[in-house]
Amino acid sequence: MENSFYAITWTDVLVSLVLMVMAFALIRWWKIDLGKTLLIGTIRTFVQLTLMGYVLTYFFRQDNWIFMVGLVLMMILIAAYEGYSRQRSHPIPNYFLILAGSMLITVFLVLGLILQFILHTQPWYYPYAMIPIAGMIIGNGLNSATLTVNRFIAEINHREKEIEMLLSLGAPPRAAIQDALRESVKAALLPNVNAMMTVGLVQLPGVMTGQILSGIDPLIAVRYQIMIMYMWVTTATMMNILVLALVYRRFFTPQWQLKRELLRVK
Amino acid sequence: MTDCHFYIFKLILAVVSAVETNYLYQLNQLSRDIEGVQILKGISLKILSGEFLALLGPSGSGKTSLLRLFNSLDSPTAGILDYRGKSIEDWDIRLLRQQVGMVFQEPVVVAGSVHENLTICQRWEKPIKPLSDLDLLATLDKVGLKSIDMHMDARSLSGGEKQRLALARVLLNQPQVLLLDEPTASLDHTLAHRIIRRVAELHREMNLTCIMVSHDPTLVRRFAERVVFLHEGQIAEDGPVTILDRPTSAQLQAYLAEER
Repeated sequence: MENSFYAITWTDVLVSLVLMVMAFALIRWWKIDLGKTLLIGTIRTFVQLTLMGYVLTYFFRQDNWIFMVGLVLMMILIAAYEGYSRQRSHPIPNYFLILAGSMLITVFLVLGLILQFILHTQPWYYPYAMIPIAGMIIGNGLNSATLTVNRFIAEINHREKEIEMLLSLGAPPRAAIQDALRESVKAALLPNVNAMMTVGLVQLPGVMTGQILSGIDPLIAVRYQIMIMYMWVTTATMMNILVLALVYRRFFTPQWQLKRELLRVK
Repeated sequence: MTDCHFYIFKLILAVVSAVETNYLYQLNQLSRDIEGVQILKGISLKILSGEFLALLGPSGSGKTSLLRLFNSLDSPTAGILDYRGKSIEDWDIRLLRQQVGMVFQEPVVVAGSVHENLTICQRWEKPIKPLSDLDLLATLDKVGLKSIDMHMDARSLSGGEKQRLALARVLLNQPQVLLLDEPTASLDHTLAHRIIRRVAELHREMNLTCIMVSHDPTLVRRFAERVVFLHEGQIAEDGPVTILDRPTSAQLQAYLAEER
């Protein structure tokens, strides 16, 4: 059975609905008020992923770097908008631009390095590598940045008096807020760093599982996974630091005053 | 206009401007809004160098909001706020805040030792001559904390000790103005008086201008020289501390009757 894989057919997918039927049955049994949502979720998963399959097939057929770059830019804008709308309860001025800009820099550096020097893709915009990796960088970067920014706002709220005390002594905003910045980045990176400690011991990461399922030699799958783990941590670090370096300034006036009105929940 | 007139005119201008710049702070029709609510309304006030001024008033009268403007922690929404004859916005903010120190209502210490707290300004400003332990001890002595262990964790100090540490930290900046936002509100009566007595001594020894927010008329009577009484964001009465004995405004009379 070497280097073979079991192609799953549409009939097989229909059979997999049995799994959902089991979930439904259990929820009905305990009268948990989730049936409708679960039904919508089941349908959306099916429709969204099927559509995505066709879309990806179409994208992968494109042999045009402008199209690929445009697609990545599109993904960045959508992700930045998603991050921006998650931050509605605590609006930060220019947050959309901050996210989009930080993602652009991170994607350019990390994706460029991977495509050029690790995978040596030919052509450089080889869609089978570029689209999924860009997706991982953007998605992971967004999640990590959201965590950091939330933590950062909690930190400023918590340290408001300390920050104002430091400002009143003549501290520049950067110095007054340094501990809050460090704590926030550290807190957001911890899950990523912890994942590096337990990867492969507790569970196999999704990408690796997928590759092995589709018949790829585990040793190759492992090499991909090692690269992805490093990529995740670096992406998260880069995103967090870029985003916070831009975000913290929004909390101060040019007169080195803390904008306390931004701390209160809208 | 003859030459003579011209020179007299110039002379008057020079005298006027000399007198004007003599004021440490000059506020004219100043107001401050927070999210659409007017906290301070039409405040006009002149403060001389070397005064010990108390801002007295009930809670919510705008005392702290006014005090924060002097160190530029906030900016006025409208009106004029001059420090040493120059608009506060035009000052180099770092220089202004070194000259105008602030002690907050709740003592704030940062994580670390007493020593780290005292030398905190060196984190962002490399001094020409780093503060020696002798300098630190001399300052700790000024606030009555001479016997404290400098390597002790600052967070384990008592409330009164923390507040004196905060005062020492400000004094190490060698300020010319000291802003005090009810610094003894969380302390007992005896300790509060001891700390403010220290401040009053520093005020005399170093010719330090003190502006203190308080709602304690006894404390104010004892240490302040001038009282500005605020009521609903406006100055209701302003004068030497003796006005507390013969209040003219109905608001101050009512306030004193209530506090008694």
